Amino acid sequence: MIKTLKTSFTECSGRERTVELLDAEQYRELLGPFDGFESPHLEKQGIIPQSDDGVIVAKGTINGHRAVIISIEGKFQGGGIGEVSGAKIAGTLELVLKDCVAGKKTIPVLIYDTGGVRLQEANYGLLSIAEISAAMVALRRHVPVIGVIPGKIGAFGGMSITAGLCSTLLMTKEGRLGLNGPEVIEQEAGIREFDSSDRQLIWGTIGGDQRTAAGFADLLIADDTDAVKETITSVITGEISFLQRTEQVNRYKNFLTSVDPKHRISFEEVRTLWNQSGETSTVERHRSNVTKSNGRGQTWFDLLRGDAKEVGDLPSVRVADGIIGENRVRYIAVVPDAENYFPRARNGELGLLEGWSIAEHVREVITADRNGDKQAIVVIVDMPSQAYGYHEELLGIHQACAAAVDAYASARLAGHPVISFIPGNAISGAFLSHGMQSSRIIALNDPGVNVHVMSKQSAARITQRSLEELEVAAKKVPAMAYDVDSFEQLGALYSLVGDVEADTPQVNDRDRIYVEINRAIEDVQSSKSNDLSVRLTSALAKAGGRAAAISVREELYAQWT
Amino acid sequence: MESFLFTLPATIKIRRQAHVGVVGSGDLEIILEPNDQAVAEITIRTGVTGHQASWEAVIQRFFKQHDLAAKVKINDFGATPGMVAVRLAQAMEVCCYD
Repeated sequence: MIKTLKTSFTECSGRERTVELLDAEQYRELLGPFDGFESPHLEKQGIIPQSDDGVIVAKGTINGHRAVIISIEGKFQGGGIGEVSGAKIAGTLELVLKDCVAGKKTIPVLIYDTGGVRLQEANYGLLSIAEISAAMVALRRHVPVIGVIPGKIGAFGGMSITAGLCSTLLMTKEGRLGLNGPEVIEQEAGIREFDSSDRQLIWGTIGGDQRTAAGFADLLIADDTDAVKETITSVITGEISFLQRTEQVNRYKNFLTSVDPKHRISFEEVRTLWNQSGETSTVERHRSNVTKSNGRGQTWFDLLRGDAKEVGDLPSVRVADGIIGENRVRYIAVVPDAENYFPRARNGELGLLEGWSIAEHVREVITADRNGDKQAIVVIVDMPSQAYGYHEELLGIHQACAAAVDAYASARLAGHPVISFIPGNAISGAFLSHGMQSSRIIALNDPGVNVHVMSKQSAARITQRSLEELEVAAKKVPAMAYDVDSFEQLGALYSLVGDVEADTPQVNDRDRIYVEINRAIEDVQSSKSNDLSVRLTSALAKAGGRAAAISVREELYAQWT
Repeated sequence: MESFLFTLPATIKIRRQAHVGVVGSGDLEIILEPNDQAVAEITIRTGVTGHQASWEAVIQRFFKQHDLAAKVKINDFGATPGMVAVRLAQAMEVCCYD
């Protein structure tokens, strides 16, 4: 019989999507609307919260296979990830991981409909997305992590990075996948770079059709509920499987170096280049003449490494192997390169090549130490942002970020102490990719150290508020503030080091940071866990910094079995 | 944002809880739960200020027509009075009929 009637998956609400995918008999929602876990941060800003904070978690089976579906409701605050919604996603994945480790195989399915971090809860979203990513990388060792982007909003911001971490990513034509939303690119890079009112440009760059054809999603699915369920089942049974994108460092590097960013390449060209990238051998690496930058990242990288030899291959990603006391350490820093191959990454932004280069240098360490002592990795963080541009989206900057996230998380899981040191700016997707997967984070207590999600101008535009209104809101919700003191209140820092010359550090400043790094390394080595749980068990987190994130996890745990 | 509470006499007990709608543009979320007391208690939070009279009219009318002893929570994101009435009817359907 020919089936003619289709039930649209895209048109369903977030909750309906879970109901459609799970078998009816076993369906059970956790932390549902009657449990009253709404965001504690929105009312203070005059925004009406929703009873489930826009995330639906449902347990059950998919055609008999044990599964958990996490579905984001795009109509509530653009599917933005705040403290509660983020903790619902991360906490659920952490419990699935626990089950899988205990031998109870459960398949996690994420249904994306999100603009990324909820700007009204800013750094809570950032912390949550780091925890979501960490759990996804750990989970993939046990089960496929399946992502679906049905469309309406799509998957943007930090959540696009998590989409890049999925074992299998399904999209419809309606779906969109990109790190920086069109309006944000227009705001940051100008309308000539990206015109956010040009629908064809948007779908041609980041739409499901293009993403599937150009190596950033696995299957283009029809907008039909039954088809979605069948496809997911085939992934669960192993009938269809795909290569993990974040692990294909060579192919993506080939792909990127085959592009000439001097002219604006077309959607079709990208598809051709992607198909060829699987065949070509390694392209000669592009090197520019290195003029050293004088930013804090470079300064601290040089100071900390001392006379250790540099082993990096990209002028904007500095890598060196040194020793602090008795600890072997690999330093990695992203710095400005005025002649960067991709012009949008010339001011030290984390761009396409930077993400993949980080992945390569971190994976080198994992491979080299596979059977021996684990070298520590020190992530030096000072970046203005991720790179905003047409080519960046077209060539999958979210995937480059995911590659770095995956590499750092994998190093941590393999037992490498990964320590972040923040002497400058730690911002948004750049920080998520380079710094947020670390076991411990050390920051300088200095006015030049900022942690946030988006420039104030862009945040004002997206949330339709004035800059003054944003300042007022930041006073009520510390997660929205940009200074490191406010960030410290959230409890994610291992230490905040004061009285250091951040711009022109001297030998005594260096020695103090050495002591901090060594202390952090030893703390990691003496602790049993290699996840990010320390951010939730710190004194500040418990004292209120992550109150909602903690109570959501407790309640999830209580309702789990 | 504004919030108000309406309390109206009611007698008929409802069997089940209901959740409908979404806090999205032009829409609202309604949570309806059984109430032990013989009243309908309606708590409203809305982002659109200055419409208390309209709210009162919609709520009065609905609960005059439908005698429900319930605790009702409304999270509004700019729904029109017509939309509010439709969502209330939908919520009632979920908790009163199979």
